[in-house]
Amino acid sequence: MAESWIILQPIIILFTGALLTPLIEYLGRAIKFEKVRDTFAIIIFGLSLYSLLGIYGEVQRQGQLTYFLSPYEPQMGGVSFFVDQFSVFMALLFCLLGLFVSIYSVKYMEGDTGLDKYYSLLMALVAGLVGISFAGDLFNLFIFWEAMSLSSYALVAFRKYRWEPIEASFKYLVMSTIGSLTALYAMSILYGLTGTLNIARLAAIIPTLKIAPQVPYLIIVAIIAGFGVTASIVPFHFWLPDAHPAAPSGISAMLSGVVIKAGVYVIVRILFTIFNPIAFEFGTTLVLFGIITLSVANLMALLQRDIKRLLAFSSIVNIGYIIFGFGIGAYAINIYGAGGYSIATLAVMGAIFHIFNHAIGKGLLFLCAGCFIHEAGTRDLVDLEGAGKKMPWTGTSFSLGLLTLAGVPPLSGFWSKLFIILAGFTKLDNTFMVVTTSLVVLNAIFAAAYYLWLMQRLMLRTPKSRVEKAHEVPIMMVLPVVILGLITVIIGLWPFNIMDFAEVATRSLLGLTGG
Amino acid sequence: MSVPDFTLYATTAIILYIIGLYGIAVRRNMVRTIISLEIITASVNLNFLAFTKLNQDLLPLAQYFVAISIVIGAAVASLALMITIQAYRHYGSVDLKKLSRLRW
Repeated sequence: MAESWIILQPIIILFTGALLTPLIEYLGRAIKFEKVRDTFAIIIFGLSLYSLLGIYGEVQRQGQLTYFLSPYEPQMGGVSFFVDQFSVFMALLFCLLGLFVSIYSVKYMEGDTGLDKYYSLLMALVAGLVGISFAGDLFNLFIFWEAMSLSSYALVAFRKYRWEPIEASFKYLVMSTIGSLTALYAMSILYGLTGTLNIARLAAIIPTLKIAPQVPYLIIVAIIAGFGVTASIVPFHFWLPDAHPAAPSGISAMLSGVVIKAGVYVIVRILFTIFNPIAFEFGTTLVLFGIITLSVANLMALLQRDIKRLLAFSSIVNIGYIIFGFGIGAYAINIYGAGGYSIATLAVMGAIFHIFNHAIGKGLLFLCAGCFIHEAGTRDLVDLEGAGKKMPWTGTSFSLGLLTLAGVPPLSGFWSKLFIILAGFTKLDNTFMVVTTSLVVLNAIFAAAYYLWLMQRLMLRTPKSRVEKAHEVPIMMVLPVVILGLITVIIGLWPFNIMDFAEVATRSLLGLTGG
Repeated sequence: MSVPDFTLYATTAIILYIIGLYGIAVRRNMVRTIISLEIITASVNLNFLAFTKLNQDLLPLAQYFVAISIVIGAAVASLALMITIQAYRHYGSVDLKKLSRLRW
């Protein structure tokens, strides 16, 4: 217990960095070297990534870490932190993308003012995300959730001199706040019933409660609907196609890459840990939400002319895959009992692996879209035709990102989709699973078609007048893009390490420790 | 300590929640939307406290939750008002119908 305080390290580093950035900006003006704040941001992200690796090592040794930070007894709740492999997996992903975005922003955001606030908010965003993945009680989770949400509303509205970010940010704020308050309402009912919000305690108390059977389902629905707004599950997705394109490209990459994953993480963490899938049937709901999300977003993506809007809809599609994977896992455990755990492990592992692939792939795509917009000054796909020919590094990385999300075999996106679909087809006598999985396969093929169409437009057509004068973006912008592209190739060719990590995370989530 | 008290508080919380949702859905004024959000926050806070009428042991933590929830609500409201001011600078109005380019 004594050394468990290292859990707090990355969160403290990031929040301290967020507070210090305006001071650093002031210092930078004094010594006539404005880039000092960018360097500072990169160093802070590097440091927190380093401390997260330390936590990862500790988790590998001990399995799980807990830490209490409150005068209350742990039995009552209070502020607690809980870290297992799944948390560390998510936190590493959040911090890694934060690092890439801060490197990218050095050049991309050069023309904007108030960059100290930009980096402050970015650090607070990542600190909130890491806090969400480490929180051990629901109220603590809610506080970090709001820290994350508030920074992202402000970041969407960062270019406040234009109308679009203002509208999109207000829409995002209203919808997301209703969502988080709905989730808080569910938490208040949970607290009233059990007297604690500690996740481990709740998991022990919920099965022994003597209440009407509808009440837990009311809570489950409120949790899915509340956090589903940020996760952009389809009936609650209306803010996303506006907010993600309106933000600066680096922030779009953060929002699409990791913030919506935080919503999925919280839903899954609460549902799988507190409400045991053997006793509670929520898998069907998740599967159906996944299918609806996939189908609607795929159709909507086809209609878009704006490159960032298209990518935003494609994010919703991928959330559909992830929710579907977790849903199949919960469904299999509920239907087949202990025998369902092998299917569930496969499906949930695929979903966790897909979280990784989509974060890397969509981060890559949004950063590349930012490069194109930086050069061509337009987001219209018709005007951007042939831009990839003028910018070979960006274009190649963009194609890699599209191919990995399309699930083309040697790249990383192929493996995760394969696991999810294989898990769905393990029980061929179960009509529900076979039909829904077939729908997923159809959607995957459909999505692959328009990814390839987009790639053909950007890479193979003759450049139009808008992109005639475009040339390769500066090295600081190309570097993160190329590294992300390389990651998809390397993970695709050698997926075994990350698969092991995802499998350990899955076992930890499903409570299958040991064995 | 009594069930009637709990029923009263919990019902009020639910009614407040519905009023807030109604306000956001129907009213087309940005400031009214923010007020409706605050009403929902109040309803959630009230619901935390409603359960303490059933069980006095819940009170210390519930007070702590509500205090922090109020602070968070204030932060959200101030950010929303900041966005409202910016919107007013663009459109000269806080009517959401005028902010219709993104199709609400």
